[in-house]
Amino acid sequence: MNLFISLETGLREIFSHKFRSFLSMLGIVLGVGSLIATMAITGGIERGTRAFMEQIGGLEMVNVVNKEISNDLQDFWNLSPGRTLQDAYAIKQAAPLVSHVSPQLDLGLPVSSGGQTMRVRVSGVWPDFLEIARHQIAAGRFIGDLDVDRGQRCAVIGNTIAATLWPNLAPADTVGQTIYLNDSPFTVVGVFTLYERDRDRLARERGLSKVEEDRRERRGTRPNRGDPFRGKNEAVLIPFTTMFYEFKSAAFPDNSSDTVPIENLTIRIGNLKSFEQALGEVRKALEITHRGVDDFGFDTREDWFDQMEQRMRSTRTSGGLIAGISLLVGAIGITNIMLASITERVREIGIRRAVGARARDIFLQIIVESVSIALMGGVIGVVVGFGIVQLLTLLAPGDSEPFISAASIGLSIGFAAVVGVLSGIYPAVQASRLDPIQALRYE
Amino acid sequence: MALVLLQDVKKYYFLGGQEIRALDGVNLRIDEGEFVAITGPSGSGKSTLMHLLGCLDTPTAGRMEICGHDLSQATSDQLSLVRNREIGFVFQSFNLLSRLNVVENVEVPLIYSGVPGRKRREKAESLVRRVGLEQRMRNRPTQLSGGQCQRVAIARALVNDPRILFGDEPTGNLDSHTGELILHMFTELHQAGRTVVLVTHDPDVAAVTHRVIEIRDGRVQREYDPRVAA
Ligand SMILES: Nc1ncnc2c1ncn2[C@@H]1O[C@H](COP(=O)(O)OP(=O)(O)OP(=O)(O)O)[C@@H](O)[C@H]1O
Ligand SMILES: [Mg+2]
Repeated sequence: MNLFISLETGLREIFSHKFRSFLSMLGIVLGVGSLIATMAITGGIERGTRAFMEQIGGLEMVNVVNKEISNDLQDFWNLSPGRTLQDAYAIKQAAPLVSHVSPQLDLGLPVSSGGQTMRVRVSGVWPDFLEIARHQIAAGRFIGDLDVDRGQRCAVIGNTIAATLWPNLAPADTVGQTIYLNDSPFTVVGVFTLYERDRDRLARERGLSKVEEDRRERRGTRPNRGDPFRGKNEAVLIPFTTMFYEFKSAAFPDNSSDTVPIENLTIRIGNLKSFEQALGEVRKALEITHRGVDDFGFDTREDWFDQMEQRMRSTRTSGGLIAGISLLVGAIGITNIMLASITERVREIGIRRAVGARARDIFLQIIVESVSIALMGGVIGVVVGFGIVQLLTLLAPGDSEPFISAASIGLSIGFAAVVGVLSGIYPAVQASRLDPIQALRYE
Repeated sequence: MALVLLQDVKKYYFLGGQEIRALDGVNLRIDEGEFVAITGPSGSGKSTLMHLLGCLDTPTAGRMEICGHDLSQATSDQLSLVRNREIGFVFQSFNLLSRLNVVENVEVPLIYSGVPGRKRREKAESLVRRVGLEQRMRNRPTQLSGGQCQRVAIARALVNDPRILFGDEPTGNLDSHTGELILHMFTELHQAGRTVVLVTHDPDVAAVTHRVIEIRDGRVQREYDPRVAA
C-alpha cells in the first residue's frame, strides 16, 4: 500500500477526533517548544560570545602575563627584568608565527577637552595594537610608526570619550581637536567606532526613552551595566614612547624606555592552526630576555569559551530536561491514543485484512498515523517555541539575543518524527498481529 | 479446472485443553464456472470451511489449493495476496468501512493491489454503477439500506475481478424480498461465468444453485444437484 494512502487514512482518522488528537499532541508540542527555546538560547549565547570575542581580539589575541615563580626559584627572581619593551622586540624578531605584538604602558590620568574633564586609563602602545585589539577607526587614523619613533603627542580615542568630552560634536568630528592629558596638549588623530552588544544596539535602534533608561537603571537592569566593550569605548591611546617620556620617566628615573616595566604585552597569532607553535616561539624568545626565569605566562581566550560553555550547560540541562520529559510524556500520550484508536478499529482492521491488506500494510498505516500526530505536534511546537523565545526576550533580556536557526527547527521536527515512530511501534505491532477472523468477529 | 481443491482438510480448535474438531477431514473440489451452496446445521463447520476457502485461515492438517495456489502451509502474506487478487468475499454483515463512502469502500481492495489513484477511482465507480448505485456514490454505508450495503459489498468483492466469489450467508441479514434481489445478482454473476460459492441455511437459496454440499460434524455428508433432486 502506498504511503500516500496511509497518510490520507491517518489524517482522516486524526481529524475525525480533533480534540483527542490535539490532546495527544500536547506533550510533543511542549517538548519541541522547549527544544526550540533551549537551542535558541544556547545558540544566542554561543553566537553572542563568538561575536564578542571576535570584537575584543578573537582567539588569536594572547596576553603575556606575569607569573608567580615557584618558591625554590625565589633567589633567581632578581635576575629577570620582568616584562619590558625588550620582550616586544624579541618576539618581533624571533617569533615569525606571531603577526602582531605591542607593549603597553598604562596610567590613570585626568583627561580634558578644555571644558569637560574625566579620569581615564591612558595607554601607550605600538601601531600593532590596532590589529591586536581589533579596533576599528571611525574617523582619522591610528598611531603610526613615525609617531612612536618621534614620540609625537597624538592620541586616538574611543567613541564614548569623544562623545563625553565634546558633547556638541559628532564623535567623528573630534579628529583634529586638542585633548589635554594631565594638562599636556595632545592632538586627536583618530576616533574608534562605537562598539556595542546586539541588545544595546537593538535598544538604541528601538529608541529607548530616557524614562525607560532611568527605570532600568533603578531596577539595575540597565543594559550597559557591565558592558564588556566599555574598555574599548573609553580607550585613550598614545604612542608608547610618548607615554614613557611624558608620564613615566619621572617615576622611573633609573630606567630607559627599554627597561621600564610594562603593564601589558599583547600579541596576535598569525594563524590559529599554529597556535601552540607560535606560543612556543614566544616562550623561547622570552626565556632569553627573562634570563631563564620562568616568571611569565600566557593568558589566552580559552577561559572565555569555558565560561560560555558553563552558561550554555545550565540552559542546556534545564531546557533539555524539560524537553526530554515532555517528549517522553508525548510519546506515551501518542501510544495511548493509538492503542485506544486501534481498539476502536479492530473491525476496520479485520475488514482491511479480509480484502487483502497484509500485516505490514496495517503496521504502516498505524505508524504513519502516529508520525502524523507527532509531526503536527512538532509543527505546533515550533510555533510555540517561537512564542517562548519572544516571551523570554521580553521578560528577561539577557546578554545575547536568542536566535532560532533553521537547523534547530529541523532537529526538533526530526525529534518529533522519531518520537512518532517510537510511540507508534507498539500499537502498530499489536494492530498488525490481529487475527483477521477474530478481528472481523469483534463487536 | 479446479479452483478449490481440499484433500482431507482438518481444522481443530483447542479450547482449555479440549479439542474441537470444526472440520474433520473434508474432501472437496469446485471447478471453474460452478454455482455451489454449502449448507448444514448450526455448528457443523460451514463458517470454518468458508474461512479456509476465503483464505482467512489455514488448515490444521490436509491439503488446500485455491486458484492454483497451494495454501496448506501458507504464510500470512501469501494469504493476503490470494484474498486480494483471486477471491471476492461477501459477508452476512456487509463489513463495510463506515467512515468511507460507497466508492471509497469499493476502492479499498485496489489500494492493497497497488492500483494508482485515478485508475482506482474509475474502476470503483464503474463497479458501483454495475450494482446500480450510481446515485449513491458519495453516501456513507450508514445512509444506505441493508440491500444497498450488500450491493456495495458485492461491488467491492468484484473490483479486483476475482476468479471465485464467496458469500457467507449473504442474504442472512436481509428481508426476503431484498434477499431475493441479492441472490439474483449472484445468479447473474454465475451466468456471466463467475464461480460462486455460498454458505446458506436457507433452502430457497440453496435451490437456485447447481450443487449443494451438506456439511455435518465437520465432514461433507451429502452432495446433490437441487435441479435434479427435486
Ligand atoms: N475460534 C474458534 N475457537 C474454538 N472453537 C471454534 C472456533 N470457531 C468455531 N469453533 C467451533 O467449531 C465448530 C464449527 O463452527 P462454525 O462456526 O464453523 O459453525 P457453522 O456451521 O458456521 O455454524 P452456524 O450455522 O451457527 O454459523 C463449532 O463447534 C464452533 O464452536
Ligand atoms: Mg457460521
